Amino acid sequence: MTDCVINGVSIDESFAEAFPMRGTRIIVTAHNITWARHAGQTATGFATSVIACGAEAGIERELSPDETPDGRPGVALLLFAMSSKELAKQLERRVGQCVLTCPTTAVYAGLEAPETLPLGKNLRFFGDGWQISKVIDGVRYWRVPVMDGEFVAQETTGMVKAVGGGNLLLLARDTDSALAGAEAAVAAMKAIPGVVMPFPGGVVRSGSKVGSKYKALSASTNDAYCPTLVGLTPKSDLDERTACVMEIVIDGLTFDAVADAMRAGIAVLCERGGAAGVHRIAAGNYGGKLGPFHFHLRQLLPKDHA
Amino acid sequence: MSKHWTLRLKTAPALRLDLRALQPSALAALSHDEAARLPVLHGNERTSAGDWFDLSFTDAETPALTLQGDLSRGDRIGWCLAGGTVHVEGDAGDYLGAGLQQGAVHTSGHAGVLAGCEMRGGRLEVAGNVGDFAGAPLPGSMEGMRGGVFIVRGHAGERLADRMRRGSLIVCGDAGDFAASRLVAGTVAIGGRPGAHLAHGMRRGSVVCFGTPALAPTFNPMQGDHRVIWQLLSRDLARLAGPHSPFAGLPARQPRRWAGDLGAGGQGELWCLA
Repeated sequence: MTDCVINGVSIDESFAEAFPMRGTRIIVTAHNITWARHAGQTATGFATSVIACGAEAGIERELSPDETPDGRPGVALLLFAMSSKELAKQLERRVGQCVLTCPTTAVYAGLEAPETLPLGKNLRFFGDGWQISKVIDGVRYWRVPVMDGEFVAQETTGMVKAVGGGNLLLLARDTDSALAGAEAAVAAMKAIPGVVMPFPGGVVRSGSKVGSKYKALSASTNDAYCPTLVGLTPKSDLDERTACVMEIVIDGLTFDAVADAMRAGIAVLCERGGAAGVHRIAAGNYGGKLGPFHFHLRQLLPKDHA
Repeated sequence: MSKHWTLRLKTAPALRLDLRALQPSALAALSHDEAARLPVLHGNERTSAGDWFDLSFTDAETPALTLQGDLSRGDRIGWCLAGGTVHVEGDAGDYLGAGLQQGAVHTSGHAGVLAGCEMRGGRLEVAGNVGDFAGAPLPGSMEGMRGGVFIVRGHAGERLADRMRRGSLIVCGDAGDFAASRLVAGTVAIGGRPGAHLAHGMRRGSVVCFGTPALAPTFNPMQGDHRVIWQLLSRDLARLAGPHSPFAGLPARQPRRWAGDLGAGGQGELWCLA
């Protein structure tokens, strides 16, 4: 294995292994950005991992009034699940409980695709017969009377085959530098359209491996990257310089979007340099057995080093 | 490669002409002689297109037909059009764009009665006025306009959009009595003054008008916040009607809203801009 060190940051000759998901984008608008954020944060809450959440989701970005169908500020949300059926279920529950309920909101499709998911199509029945539909420019909207006026929801949104589980492992000398590096990388990744980092703040500290010594568990701690297990677990992949590891997980609507996000994260970490504390970038994979999408770190290096 | 046909009227007909056979997509496959033999009814008399028009064509990307001359007695232009464009330079007769499915029909002049009746798609635009029953059902039928966009730059006659079910019908000028009567659904927008009995018996759908029309007591003034759907609707109308229409700037205005006709279910809505 040849070394690849950029500005003091070592890049593993490894790859992130991602798997196919189903994804959608919805647009949530509200009277002001505060309420749009409330709706977006709630609807994408408890959506870090499909292991137990049913969906992985996040706020892709905030939208200015001139970017939304109704001229109000809004947020674009991305939601991912392992099947179209599960995604439909999660979408309906989350929009029904977190967007419909949030004052002044409306919800629209954020994707056009041949395959669609119900958006307002089923939620309209909350109107108890008072709901009315309106077709505007070939798009059907449902208007459900609610206590602050009217909840407007587009009938369906598009669904695409997506990519989940792109990742970067940031190996750092201490917690402060790991967090600072992770925050900078996530900020750079958020500028890439079509991706979300679904974990809290975009970062997960409890990276997992497939399986467990306990039969009831499908995933367990990634002991190879736990600093407290150096010298204890035979699988440890850490050396004495690493006291903290953070992982950034990326879900995207396309392979290229995930790759671009990983590239942006690597670039900012290399720019900060090893002296900032993150001295090595690795990636989580399962030997190529889990997912068909492989993101090789060294193919995602900054342009000057590619 | 297709054809753009130009048919120039040679002489004014004494009776009405039935021009339903003049379809751009059909003409695209015909030679000059074949096109000249297309049937045209003159009253009950069987005549040919060549008897009435000078025909010529040029190559074009898509099928197109231009009709020139005073065709105020030329009925059923663009009848059930399924593609291509028809442009009338001058007035058109009755049933202009009736049953239109796809493509576009445009006239630079006026159109007669039953323009756009039972159209299902595409775009119909009349630069002048239209007669009665525009966007309405054909006589004896149950549903009027069922889709597409119909824009009248001038005024409309009575019974505009009677029993209309879907699509957008925009009149920039005035409308006659009983506009949007028995409206089933869809959008009707009137930029000028509506006549009496506006939206009489409407079941669903949206009517947008200016001023303060005299409404039946079966229309209920609504309170509450409807700004979201108004933005969606008004932006669409402003886009369809264009920047020089009464509907330009519509999204910035705040309308009053009535629900009705309560005598027919009350799921329709009437938006009035002062």
